[in-house]
Amino acid sequence: MTEVQLSKEVAEYTEVHRHPEPKSFIWKYIFSVDHKVIGIQYLLLAVVAVFVGMALSLLVRLRLVCPECSYPLLGQFFPVGAPEGVMTPEFYLAMLTMHGTVMVFMVLTTAPQGGFGNYFLPIQIGAADMAFPRLNMLSFWTTFVSFLLLMAAFVVEGGAPMSGWTGYPPLSAVPEATLPGIGQDLWLASIAVFCIASLLGALNFIVTTLDLRAKGLTMMRMPLTCWTWFVTAILGLLAFGVLLAAGVLLLMDRNVGTSFFVPAGLVVSDKVIDHSGGSPILWQHLFWFFGHPEVYIAILPGMGVTSHVLSTFARKTVFGYRAMVYAIAAIGGLGFVVWGHHMFVSGMSPYSAFVFSVLTMCIGVPSAIKTFNWIGTMWGGKIRFTSPMLYSIGFVSLFVSGGLSGIFLGQPTVDLYFHDTYFVVAHFHLIMGVAAIFGMFAGLTFWFPKMFGKMMNEPLSKIHFWITFVGVYAIFGPMHYLGMLPHPRRYAEITSVDYLGTGGAAELHMFITVAAVLTVLAQFIFLYNFVKSIFSGKECREENPWEATTLEWTIPSPPPHDNFAGKVPHVYRGAYDFALKGAKRDFAMQCNDDKAVYGEPAPQASGD
Amino acid sequence: MPATLSPSEAPPVTSTGGGDFVTLPPSQEGNWHNPGGDGVVQRYKLGVWIGMGGILMFFAALTSAMIVRQGLSGDWVPVAVPPVLYVSTLVLLVSSFTVERARREAVLRSSDGLRRWMNVSAGLGLAFLACQLLGWQDLAGRGLYLASNPANSFYYLLTAGHGLHLLGGIAVMGYVWVRIRASRPWPTRLAVVEATALYWHFLDVLWIYILGLLMFWR
Repeated sequence: MTEVQLSKEVAEYTEVHRHPEPKSFIWKYIFSVDHKVIGIQYLLLAVVAVFVGMALSLLVRLRLVCPECSYPLLGQFFPVGAPEGVMTPEFYLAMLTMHGTVMVFMVLTTAPQGGFGNYFLPIQIGAADMAFPRLNMLSFWTTFVSFLLLMAAFVVEGGAPMSGWTGYPPLSAVPEATLPGIGQDLWLASIAVFCIASLLGALNFIVTTLDLRAKGLTMMRMPLTCWTWFVTAILGLLAFGVLLAAGVLLLMDRNVGTSFFVPAGLVVSDKVIDHSGGSPILWQHLFWFFGHPEVYIAILPGMGVTSHVLSTFARKTVFGYRAMVYAIAAIGGLGFVVWGHHMFVSGMSPYSAFVFSVLTMCIGVPSAIKTFNWIGTMWGGKIRFTSPMLYSIGFVSLFVSGGLSGIFLGQPTVDLYFHDTYFVVAHFHLIMGVAAIFGMFAGLTFWFPKMFGKMMNEPLSKIHFWITFVGVYAIFGPMHYLGMLPHPRRYAEITSVDYLGTGGAAELHMFITVAAVLTVLAQFIFLYNFVKSIFSGKECREENPWEATTLEWTIPSPPPHDNFAGKVPHVYRGAYDFALKGAKRDFAMQCNDDKAVYGEPAPQASGD
Repeated sequence: MPATLSPSEAPPVTSTGGGDFVTLPPSQEGNWHNPGGDGVVQRYKLGVWIGMGGILMFFAALTSAMIVRQGLSGDWVPVAVPPVLYVSTLVLLVSSFTVERARREAVLRSSDGLRRWMNVSAGLGLAFLACQLLGWQDLAGRGLYLASNPANSFYYLLTAGHGLHLLGGIAVMGYVWVRIRASRPWPTRLAVVEATALYWHFLDVLWIYILGLLMFWR
């Protein structure tokens, strides 16, 4: 075992059991139980998935602006979906479905929680690893199996499913309604396996947070990142079981002839389907009971990273730390009682719709608290405009832009008009997709020196930030207008409505597609920067290059196998002690006691 | 409160009426909330408590689907619970006592006692599953298959879902057995046993709930 230099920042340690480091390649890098390796595995999976997802979105965009164009290479890979390279409408729907599924499950759910959470939760709370390291490994490899199952749907006969990432029956439940094949079954199996993986992961995160915090690290001293991972885990624990149940029911409807979601007397292609008395709306209830918390599973960790980064680079404590914690909890709690707002047009009673609408509006309160507190954190700070800071500010901007359209959609009367239009596409991409991705960019650039002991290239990161930031607004901004026309979403092609088909809408679509292509290309700048920096980036062996306060910055970069070398640091203060009066430096790390911060004699104890 | 003894000495057990407390060697990573102590045992039990949340949501989703589906249309034909389910219920209740006995043997650090009562419990678990299979056979004998009627679908689904979770419990009992064979240190062994016992009691209560649902919400 290599000798680890212990940080001078830490005032006091507690001895704990030291874990031996595995030696062989397989146990060290493949079936590792080290949370840091598992975190990187999750991140790599998400990187692969995000490029798959982006490629799919480009196919969707290309089909929208030019239905008859031929892409010979595509025709070779998908002779059925794209005969002679021309995408069929079914193929368009399949790409749309897979884009949504890959992005929501394999990127937005895995990277912020499984990736960054796994890597940094134990270190930030002063633990040597997660509570159940082997379970952690199992979670990742189960997720990986789920990813393979999903990818397999591309290559089976009949191709990928086309019922959308929401898998609405009857299209998803009645095999006769689509091309014959097992794509939809693979999709369902993938989702079911993913649910199990996420449940195991959530359990591990919760126990780790509750049980493994270092001495002195009370819940109210935890970094906000840890709070968001903790609340996200609770959401996952309560939501994924419901999706699992729904997925099992749908699989049974497809394969063994039960009738949970398929109504009686359904006619498909002049043929009466042999099912009785089920309800597609039942699926919608079960799905969205999971689906809405899932939105917060995607975005909450991004909020945590944003709070963390804004405070660090504004050199100010988080404005209203307690309010932030309560807002995170409130967003999580309210997330479970608003699922009906996805179903305003499902024929639900106006009274139910009213209740769901009011509850939905309530989410605006904690969201606004967070937004104002982010601005309050930056207000009057000595801001250092590093790339993680830019991404975090971008997160706030995107969160506000996406959130405002949510106020429109949350009202049943307005939603009747906007439902299933591009307005919705613009809304959820800004707030859940792109904002969460900016949270990941912020996290990756912020923690990169800790994870790899190298710095990323700052100018390249900033170029990437500006292109992407302008690019996503260029893509999703005009979609609001498309939605107001109202241009329906999910249609491969508009043929008989003049103002949508050949008029201004077509030009807007072209603008969006060009912006999308450029923005996707810009992501290769980030990929290049990321990969190149890992291998030949500027060396950064300092413990704490950003002058941050939390425990991960007290250990070497990259961290040794068991993080704190068989010791656990004691924590003396909250996570965001910046700009302290009378202190020797402009920040105090969590493990600094008052003597270290103020010198002798200590004027007074600092609060939480 | 409990006296500290080195691991080589006799098991330090203090009976308090509410349960047994054992002091584990400090190398077993007690946390700062509970220093010097039974950190691993507490952590495993906490894990089971949290896990129950996820499992409960799974069955809550099935329950709500069942209630909604029942009210949807007129094709719901109530299914009578097969009498063998009363036998299986009895078997499962008894197994909860034997699991508790196994846990106590583990607290007393008796490998033989633990193995014996763990085997009995696993056997009873398998007997329970056999009874559940007989229940399915009973239904099938009446011509009530998985897809014949939504009521049957839910019957099969709920019993299968519970059975799979129980099978998981039996698998963990096998793991305990392996740990005894490998002479793993008592604290980690005890942690798995305590967690298994808690999980088993939970499955017991869950089964009572499912049985009630099948009997009274037909």
